[in-house]
Amino acid sequence: MIVAFAVAPVVLVTLLIGLRGVAAMRTTSDFLVASRRVSPLLNSAAVSGEYLSAASFLGVAGLVVKDGVGSLWYPVGFTAGYIAMLALVAAPMRRSGALTVPDFAEARLASPSLRRLAAVVVLVIGALYLVPQFRTAGLVLSVVSGTPYWVGVAISGAAVSATLALGGMRAATYVQAFQFVFKLLLFIVPAIWLLVQAGPGVRDEAVHPVEFTHFDHDTEIVFRVGATLDVPDGALVVEPDGGTRPVPPGEWQVPAGSTVVFEDGSPVPELRGEAAPGAPGWERPLLDLHDEGYPLLGTWAVLIATMLGTMGLPHVIMRFHTSPDGRAARRTAALTVALLSVFYLFPGIYGVLGRVLVPHLYLSGATDSAVVALPAQVDDGSAGTLFTGLLTAGAFAAFLATSLGLLLVVSGAISHDLVPGGLRQLRVAVVGAAVTVVLLALPAARFDAGTLVTWGFTVAASTFCPLLVLGIWWRRLTAPGAIAGVAVGLVATAGAFLLTVSGPPVDGWLAILLVQPAPWSVPLAFATMIVVSLFGRPPPWSTAAMLRLHLHEHRPSPFADRSAVARDLGHSSWTARRSSAVRRITRRLVR
Amino acid sequence: MTGRRVTVTSPQTRLAHARRRYRGRWRPTTLDPAEAPKAVALYRVQLRGAALALGLLLTLIFGLPLLLALWPQLVDVRVFGIPLAWLAPVLVPFPAMVALGFWHLRRAERAEDE
Repeated sequence: MIVAFAVAPVVLVTLLIGLRGVAAMRTTSDFLVASRRVSPLLNSAAVSGEYLSAASFLGVAGLVVKDGVGSLWYPVGFTAGYIAMLALVAAPMRRSGALTVPDFAEARLASPSLRRLAAVVVLVIGALYLVPQFRTAGLVLSVVSGTPYWVGVAISGAAVSATLALGGMRAATYVQAFQFVFKLLLFIVPAIWLLVQAGPGVRDEAVHPVEFTHFDHDTEIVFRVGATLDVPDGALVVEPDGGTRPVPPGEWQVPAGSTVVFEDGSPVPELRGEAAPGAPGWERPLLDLHDEGYPLLGTWAVLIATMLGTMGLPHVIMRFHTSPDGRAARRTAALTVALLSVFYLFPGIYGVLGRVLVPHLYLSGATDSAVVALPAQVDDGSAGTLFTGLLTAGAFAAFLATSLGLLLVVSGAISHDLVPGGLRQLRVAVVGAAVTVVLLALPAARFDAGTLVTWGFTVAASTFCPLLVLGIWWRRLTAPGAIAGVAVGLVATAGAFLLTVSGPPVDGWLAILLVQPAPWSVPLAFATMIVVSLFGRPPPWSTAAMLRLHLHEHRPSPFADRSAVARDLGHSSWTARRSSAVRRITRRLVR
Repeated sequence: MTGRRVTVTSPQTRLAHARRRYRGRWRPTTLDPAEAPKAVALYRVQLRGAALALGLLLTLIFGLPLLLALWPQLVDVRVFGIPLAWLAPVLVPFPAMVALGFWHLRRAERAEDE
């Protein structure tokens, strides 16, 4: 029912707008960067639409419910990344004329192996980012409408790959710009409705957090993945026949796929390794990762990862290449900061209301669905259903828009950088990549979406961020240096993740630096790039290649007046443009 | 007369042959020497501007958590019933970042126009 009313229109409009973009598409450039004719406002709406993924639409509010008010720092980092992008990357990157990040790497450093390595990094980031999108799509659909998990995954995979294979980037631009406006409305209007409808009692509870210790009504919890609970004395569950049954105190392994109804007034079991919503420390506006007792370090680590990661996200960078020139790319970044800032004023409202109304979601690890679960708690009539539908539609728009951009960049990496080919191959690559991601997402229901997405940011921060910043601002960067830095960043972050997942338990600040390796992996990647480059010798044209990126496009031609004043018009200008002449002049200027 | 065969080439040609050749799609970037001074000036101005903007940004987003960690009692100060410390990570950084973004954009564009 909700699927029909909420998801179908989103998918349908996505497909229709996608079809509109099919017109006049002939080359790879048309497909990948919409022929570079997108205005700053449209482009920034598309960037924001692409960027506001499931992690922003659902994830932040869910993290506030689970971990506390400190989670509000995630959006700050997400937005701050665009300031860094505006200052360091946007305009020079666009002027390089490259289509993708691997393209840029090759254009600046002339190394095919760096290009292939960069393409592999794109695939890693793409997988870390795409799998949680599809997974959350499946999860949200199963929460609101009871469909099996795989249905949502399959629907989103089909819709995204069809739109892309037909329309490419031009379609994606319109679709994502439309979906930004759509998401903004579907996020703000329900937030205000919820605040009004919740009433003064709930609003007062929301700003006076207390620990979630007792159920205040009969609460049904669906465990889609298994959980280990520590049950206190006196916990009661309601049997299917209506009678109640006490749960033996101690450890309780709840199997995956079971449904438990706790009785009104029963004490709340504790989830192993997680503090309950509203517990002491919840109200502190700092991020204490894993409750290790280093809130400031945790907050800074997340800010570094999200801020620098945004600068290196390949699908965001690809969007900047659709601008007509460097100046438009810079304007796009500035406008994006403004658009995102409006959106990010609201996740906190869902978070603090969710702590009061749906704290039980933390037991089953389903706080990601807090946003769509809220309206039903406030109003059990048709208005509640309507707003659940609207929020589901918005969440689905979030999956689709982000997946569109990511899938495009992944298929671009495969068929533009790894195995160069034409437009037909690019379309085949899109479908192939979508099928692969759907297959990866099917067994991934138990992975936390927030963790995977943050890992994607961390990989981007430790690989592409140093590559782009040094490539644009440091003339002595060499190809071996760049390769070493990217490889070290990739290995360091992957190693930290593997240790977190399977390694020995550690605690204290070391645990934070393993869960969130950005504070050391990013400086390490920068240092490797610089040291290895200093041992080598940059090619003679490297200063010219770097300076070229900082020269804006629309300027009076220096040849027109010079030839009029000093030279005879028939003379060739090429002697003056010989690389040795350029080298001599730039050497005098850059010291 | 037998003997070794030697290559006879002009030093210019030898130099040209020794130089690495770029094959495939890639070509070294060309910069018009007449534009080089302009490019260098722009590079320096933009580098300074970017460093200033980034410095302000880092002060803002790393300084605010530090302030909140140093004064935990801000949770008890309430504005319209909402703890001040909850409003701080939302209402301070976002307007400040929008302002910083447009300020930097204007400076960067003005540097290019001159």
